[in-house]
Amino acid sequence: MAANQANKLFSSLKLKGFFASRMPVADEITLEQRSTYILPTKAGLMMFGVIILMMVGATNYQNNLAFLLTFLIVGIGLVSTIFTFRNLQGLAVKRGNIDSVCADQTLAVTVHLNSQSKMDHLTIGIGFDKKSLFYCDVSATEGASISIPYKTTKRGWLSLPRIMATSSFPFGLLKVWTWFKFVSPVLIYPKPIEPPAAADSIGTDNEQGDNKASGNDDLYGLKSYQPGEPLSRIDWKAHARERGVFTKEFVSYQSSDLLFDWDNYQATEPELRLSYLTYLVIQASHNNLEYGLNLPGNRVPQSSGERHLNNCLKALALHGLE
Amino acid sequence: MISNSVSAIDYQNRPFNLLPVLIAQQLTLIPLYFFIPIWISALSIAVAITVYFTQVRGSWSLPTWVKVLITLAAAVGVLLSFQRLSGRDAGVALIAVMYALKVIEIKSHRDIYVLMNLGFFILLAGFLFNQSPLIAGYQFVPVAAILNALTANHSLTQTSRIMHRSLGQTLKQLSKYLLLALPLMVVLFVFFPRLSGPIWKMPGGASATSGVSDTMSPGAISSLQLFDKVAFRVKFDGREPQGNDIYWRTLVLDEFDGLTWSRHNGRFEKPIKSITSSQQPDGKAELLSNENTFSYDISLEATRQEWLTFLDRPIDTPRRSRLFKDYSVRFDYRLVDRTRYKGVSNIRLPLDLSLSDVERQEMTAIPASGNSRSRNWAQETRSQSIDDREFIMAILRRINQQEYFYTLAPPIMEQDIVDSFWFDEQVGFCEHYAGALVYLARAAGVPARVVVGYQGAEKNPLSNYWIVRYANAHAWTEIWFKGEGWVRIDPTAAIAPHRVEEQLQLDYNQRDSLFDDFGFAAVDLNEISWHKEFQYWMDRANTGWNDWVLDYSQGSQKLLLKGLGLDNFSVKQVSLLMISILAVFLAVIALKWLRQTNNGDSIEQSFVIMCRKLEKANYPLNKGEGVMGFLSRLDNVNSSASSGASSNTSSRAERINPESLKALRRTLERYIFLRYKLSDITEKQQKDFRRQVKALKIRTSEAKPTEH
Repeated sequence: MAANQANKLFSSLKLKGFFASRMPVADEITLEQRSTYILPTKAGLMMFGVIILMMVGATNYQNNLAFLLTFLIVGIGLVSTIFTFRNLQGLAVKRGNIDSVCADQTLAVTVHLNSQSKMDHLTIGIGFDKKSLFYCDVSATEGASISIPYKTTKRGWLSLPRIMATSSFPFGLLKVWTWFKFVSPVLIYPKPIEPPAAADSIGTDNEQGDNKASGNDDLYGLKSYQPGEPLSRIDWKAHARERGVFTKEFVSYQSSDLLFDWDNYQATEPELRLSYLTYLVIQASHNNLEYGLNLPGNRVPQSSGERHLNNCLKALALHGLE
Repeated sequence: MISNSVSAIDYQNRPFNLLPVLIAQQLTLIPLYFFIPIWISALSIAVAITVYFTQVRGSWSLPTWVKVLITLAAAVGVLLSFQRLSGRDAGVALIAVMYALKVIEIKSHRDIYVLMNLGFFILLAGFLFNQSPLIAGYQFVPVAAILNALTANHSLTQTSRIMHRSLGQTLKQLSKYLLLALPLMVVLFVFFPRLSGPIWKMPGGASATSGVSDTMSPGAISSLQLFDKVAFRVKFDGREPQGNDIYWRTLVLDEFDGLTWSRHNGRFEKPIKSITSSQQPDGKAELLSNENTFSYDISLEATRQEWLTFLDRPIDTPRRSRLFKDYSVRFDYRLVDRTRYKGVSNIRLPLDLSLSDVERQEMTAIPASGNSRSRNWAQETRSQSIDDREFIMAILRRINQQEYFYTLAPPIMEQDIVDSFWFDEQVGFCEHYAGALVYLARAAGVPARVVVGYQGAEKNPLSNYWIVRYANAHAWTEIWFKGEGWVRIDPTAAIAPHRVEEQLQLDYNQRDSLFDDFGFAAVDLNEISWHKEFQYWMDRANTGWNDWVLDYSQGSQKLLLKGLGLDNFSVKQVSLLMISILAVFLAVIALKWLRQTNNGDSIEQSFVIMCRKLEKANYPLNKGEGVMGFLSRLDNVNSSASSGASSNTSSRAERINPESLKALRRTLERYIFLRYKLSDITEKQQKDFRRQVKALKIRTSEAKPTEH
């Protein structure tokens, strides 16, 4: 019994290895039959049943035209394997630019599809699993792009899981699918969490000297209208329109050397500290403030702009991981 | 950037493409419309049209109870029309009406799949009523329509402009599916293991009634009807043969399976040249002037067979007919009309003065088992006879002297038919006697065969031609004697006259010969008009359809396998053969098509081949080195090598010989041109470049240093 189970486990491991070894891994992949699998769909199984029924009918009535028709359908079934295969063959998938997001947010994984075979590839499904596929047609000349969502969980370099490409065109009787994997990882920033304001912040004031009071004011003001989804720019714009006057007021008397420090939250555990700092960095950047970041062993000097923000977020994302 | 993509949920809920479904459904039902009550046809069309227009207007659905009511009403309608729901007609009408109503409850794509898959079964039901070639050809239309409906409902039609194809493109694509499926269908049809033969046949099939059929099963006939109907009329040119010589040869049956005599070679036989068209003018002239040669015109009534009848033994045959080695003559088509042709025969023509071993074996073949009494008797009798002729005479004497009767109502003989005829019953008609004689001769090792045709003729008292009737149909034998060839022996003639049933001796005065006329309009085989030929051709197609499609059965499958030399194959082996053919066919298409995908960049592929060649020649392209760089390096290496100062630039001792270098240069330059200077590369350019690379030979002028 135990041996049997072990055997099963072993074979499943081996099988997994087999599939893995055949799965193409790169950022630009042309799908080939070597790693493509095919099975009948429910509709295909239904047709199989109808074929059996027809065979029985043809034999019972010894009707040769019925045999001919049945064999024609069988022939179509067989030929459609090739057609179905061909619809996925020679399709090139390429990893598009993927914008980093914070943990717990949804990553938009862009896949560019191109036809390498001079033919249209129709009704191609792309997705991380078969339940959440997105479909598109890939024209022979123009190709197509598809964006599939991926829910992130933690900060750091995210290695994208394998992606399924599937198709049951033209008849929906057979389904071919293949898995591929993009090698280049995506950077996931820590999840921004609003720091519990006063107590912690005030605690750090002593070390910061003159600027700390004004800094504190700024942060307090900013916190009050934080919508909670920092990278969702459309929301931000809407929000900014509502509170535009308020924002400007803050900016006018903002001190120039804002520094977000790891040591500000000494009682908190590291991941939460990173979350607080991320929140602060994003807020500051959004308000066009100049700010710096101080992490153990990694200090980002005060600056502003998109690039600076990315540097800070990258430092936060990879803190303690490299 | 993100174009036209559809999420899984949207895809699941994609709108139906109802029009192709309805078209496919109606095309599927059309053959049935001719056989089911008209109200079902009308209902079906009305439902389809209603569903289409309500769908176009917007969503529309009937309450379930209404659907149930409609369905029940339809079933009751069928019941009222047929007084029952079982049986072929009522059953088909019922499934037709259900299929017609199914469209009102399409709610999901699954319903569409069910509807379309059931369509195949509906098509099959149509074949229960009609099996003409027309309907068989028509089946491709609904099948294509069903495939079209499946494709249309499996596409992102609403979001994609690619799928909006023209009707022509759609038809082209659909015919592609069908054309590729067609050979698979034929292979499956031919080789798929079958059970026993068909239960019913098309009316008007190949088995029409006539005086002479192409098989003979004496044991199975319990009553032979003599038809007074005219089989053919003959007008001799000048001399006429005497009564004893008037045997009309149609067909030779030389294979016996224990029950039935049939013609051995069937369809795979080669014709021989007729005597008069052969290359011996002397013999020909002599033969034609021989006193035993008769020429005549025959006006043959429609036989619905391809065999022509001649006075035994024909030496000249009409055009479009073929003389076979056994002196049967087959016309290109079945004779569907009264047909007139000229014949020349020599009644004493010697046939096959020598027999090959194979022929002798074939002509003495009998089933390995059965009829053991006859077999033993024949062998014993032969051993008591001096020669073959004496042995045959002994048999004929027995027929003459013992109690053998001629009757048209023989008992049915089912097993060991020769034994039961020869020893037990001793009654029968010509087929029994001819069959028995040939069997006995063969059992003793004497080559023998059955000839069927007509015997005798009656002269029309009012004019100069002869009438042969179906009643004259006869079977006799030919026995092969050394030095004489095939000799006609008619065992029926050996029966003592007083043992022939009286009824047969009634004279023929009552017949309609007084009103007969040789000059009836008949098709002259020498002057066949094109529309007559078309008619013949159509008839042949129809016969072929009957023989090869509708009557194709276990038996014909065996015959075909035999023709292919596969008669020893078991069902399992034939199935394996079939699967292999299918697999090879699919593999060929698959390779052809799936390969194409790699041709995306043919230039680059050719370049890879070239790189491999260079590596083999020990001149690999370095990593990161451009083609230009490589070219200049090549020049350097070779020039320095030729000047003799090559010690450090080339660790290799050899250099590329000047001609190869030239060719390599040309190829590389061509590559640069194609790759970097052209934006649009034609297929021809790709091919040419590939050829250029393939032809490229990189030879080194000095031998490679041996490395071991």
